[in-house]
Amino acid sequence: MPLAIVFDRRIGYLFPMEQSELRAFEKRCTQEEAPACQTACPLHVDARAFCGLMAAGRLSDARKLLERSMPLADLLGRLCEGDCLAACRRAEIDAAVNMPLLERACVCFSKPAKGMLMPSTGKRVAVAGAGLSSLCLAWELGKKGHTAVIHHCQSPGGRLKSVNNAVLPEGVLADALDALTGLRVEFILVDSFSPAWRDKALEDHLALYIGLDDASVSLADFALGGISDFLTQETAMPAVFAGGAPDTPGGAPSFVRAAADGKRAAGSIIRLMQGVSPATARENEGVYKSLLHTNLEDVAPALPVIALDPDAPTEDEAVAEAARCIRCECLECVKHCVYLANYKGYPKRYAREIYNNLSVVHGLRRSNGQINSCAECGLCAAVCPNSADMGAFCASARREMARSNRMPPSAHEFALEDMAFSNAPDIAFFRHEPGASQSAWAFFPGCQLPASFPGQSADVYRHLRRHLPESGNAPKGGGGVGFFFRCCGAPARWSGRDLLTAESAASLRADWQQAGEPTLILACASCMSFFTEALPDIPVISLWDVLADLPLPEGAAAAGLDLALHDPCAARHSDVTRARVRALARQLGQEVEELSLGGALTRCCGYGGLASAANPVLGDAIALSRAKDTDRALLTWCAMCRDRLRAVGKNSLHLLDLLFPDGSAEQAATRPAPGISARQERRLSFRTTLLHDAWNENPPENAGMDSITLSMDEDTARKLDARRILRSDIKAVLLHAKDNGPQFANPDTGRSLHCLRPKQVTFWVEFTRTGDNAYDVHDAYCHRMVVPGVPGEGLDTAATCEGYSRKGGRM
Amino acid sequence: MKAELQGVSARGWICRQCGIPLEILPVDITYMGSSFQVELPRCRQCGYTFIPPDLAEGKMLEVEKILEDK
Repeated sequence: MPLAIVFDRRIGYLFPMEQSELRAFEKRCTQEEAPACQTACPLHVDARAFCGLMAAGRLSDARKLLERSMPLADLLGRLCEGDCLAACRRAEIDAAVNMPLLERACVCFSKPAKGMLMPSTGKRVAVAGAGLSSLCLAWELGKKGHTAVIHHCQSPGGRLKSVNNAVLPEGVLADALDALTGLRVEFILVDSFSPAWRDKALEDHLALYIGLDDASVSLADFALGGISDFLTQETAMPAVFAGGAPDTPGGAPSFVRAAADGKRAAGSIIRLMQGVSPATARENEGVYKSLLHTNLEDVAPALPVIALDPDAPTEDEAVAEAARCIRCECLECVKHCVYLANYKGYPKRYAREIYNNLSVVHGLRRSNGQINSCAECGLCAAVCPNSADMGAFCASARREMARSNRMPPSAHEFALEDMAFSNAPDIAFFRHEPGASQSAWAFFPGCQLPASFPGQSADVYRHLRRHLPESGNAPKGGGGVGFFFRCCGAPARWSGRDLLTAESAASLRADWQQAGEPTLILACASCMSFFTEALPDIPVISLWDVLADLPLPEGAAAAGLDLALHDPCAARHSDVTRARVRALARQLGQEVEELSLGGALTRCCGYGGLASAANPVLGDAIALSRAKDTDRALLTWCAMCRDRLRAVGKNSLHLLDLLFPDGSAEQAATRPAPGISARQERRLSFRTTLLHDAWNENPPENAGMDSITLSMDEDTARKLDARRILRSDIKAVLLHAKDNGPQFANPDTGRSLHCLRPKQVTFWVEFTRTGDNAYDVHDAYCHRMVVPGVPGEGLDTAATCEGYSRKGGRM
Repeated sequence: MKAELQGVSARGWICRQCGIPLEILPVDITYMGSSFQVELPRCRQCGYTFIPPDLAEGKMLEVEKILEDK
């Protein structure tokens, strides 16, 4: 299906988006498309919903639904030929759902719904012939308050009168004619039809319909050539419509198709009476091919129900047959994505809601949370038959929100401050290999690997220095393996901040140029995505591609555990690196289970796109869902995936745990994930240790903060992590309390309470001072509202969405 | 909005510097350009205002999110 919108992942969709672009995205999602049975039905009976009601034994409701699209359902429900049978997707597995049998049972075992009689409009339409198409046209007009005047040479019913009594019992046709009379339909017996009769009819009525399924009627009688439009049923003569003829010359007319002709002609006549063209708004009328995608892979076979008497199925038989309907729908992406399932919709609806959300000027932007909760992992696009990428849509929406200063400040604040922390001069650094004055390569572990695996990150660096220059891959200019420690800038991009992203990329480029433009060896798949998209000219290679070509480290070994391989979602399109990771596992002798949603279809841990930052509860649900994909422990090659999966209780290993073991594999698989404070502290200590060990440097310590000792129980520590309160935040409050005296005291407990607003957040700490610089922390909490009397209260939310780089700086 | 942030007691906390109990007094709190007056435990002399953890993590957080989405 060619689509008007061309999407480039580097550019994203451009907001403010034109309606036409939104429509193009919506078209990719087929969930709202009518199922094949419905589009194949000339009357567009909603067979899927009908089967659902029948299967639930709700025959009266099923009948109401049937009557919505099927005129004279009591009659036609017994005669339907089942044009849907050939389109039914169930037929691809075993046999189509027997809709004619269900319709018959429905009308036999339920009563017609009592409709309200519309007031008469006084508009009269002439009808020639009293076959089924004419009766259906009269029904449709009568429901709207118009009067159909049926002229007939023989008794009404046409071919209906010759239907087998078992199929159409006596009385059903008479009841239908009575019902029509109840809708003010008039029946007038005439001798014959002629052009003169036609002219007179048009003089006395607003339009004329010629029902060709009555044997006593032919177009020739009216001196009309034929039907000029088979959707509107117009003839060459204005205000004259015709229908009900067999599809093939000499063939028997189908009852359903004749009924549909009458129904569509009624629609044309109503339009005509409203003064609009009969062709207006007729999209998707008539039979057409459904665009709804339905995956049949998991559909279990179910043989059709054989009714003992096909002309008179029992209610039980019908209910059992209805249960065979597979309720065709797509939801391919929703089935696999906790985020998409969470909001009870599907991309087409979400795109509309997000589009509307961005247009809200006054009032609540209710989709903000949803936009920021997407992990932007790309699985939806990977499983969608039309590649609808909700992540890319959300990414663009975030950029628009940030650009227009409508991004909720709390959503990404912690992640961006964490990024600024990693890029601050007291953390970030570059060094050439000890003893070297230039670098052919530089190991770039990213900000998270050393926070999760500080020891192994240093091991990797030693291993690269030892083996890479000997590997025969050394560039001509020579040079060693430098070390580059900083955050790539992916959080800025995820948060939608274009300026911050550009600023971060520019500062990274400047640092790289200053380092002599080495090839960067990236450990993190998200860093790789960021470099590929934001800094495509900087040469990069995956650490795992490099390690697969080097000798295995001494001590490297298989885990001795049953493991399943979890690829990070950022490596969805990195086929080569995923293959090298598997090659490394094989070299280690580590057998791994491939997950059905692995490789290019891998699932996110909830960290991607800063989903867990904006929506921690959903982020954990995403990780938990991934954890449940296998009973085995997971082996991954992304630090955040490993820690997030472990944090929800899943035994998880990083590939570095096998390559550079530190203790047993069992210990490594159950090692707790570090909290947010520990991650920052580990980066700091990693830097200090590496600079000392490799370059014999001794960076100065932060005397004020480092002199404070905190103690708290595990529950409090967990609570503070969930509240995104760092130990350094608490220390800042306590230092202020020490210098100025705490604000509140509790004489009953002997505890103190102090608050400080060092940034756009006010932190409160309840504590007991146990020594000069020692504190027991009982609780800490924070809020963003500005309350008078708080030191630093002037810090309101004046900072713009882009204001997170102040702490950052050049190295 | 205003009603949601009311009804907080001082829970035994006193102003340490002034040495007096906190009283329920009106206070103007602001966020995202919105400002409203609520009654919270305050020190009548120095103006320090007490915010308990359940208010910060509960109603206050809810109101902050609403104001951020406005």
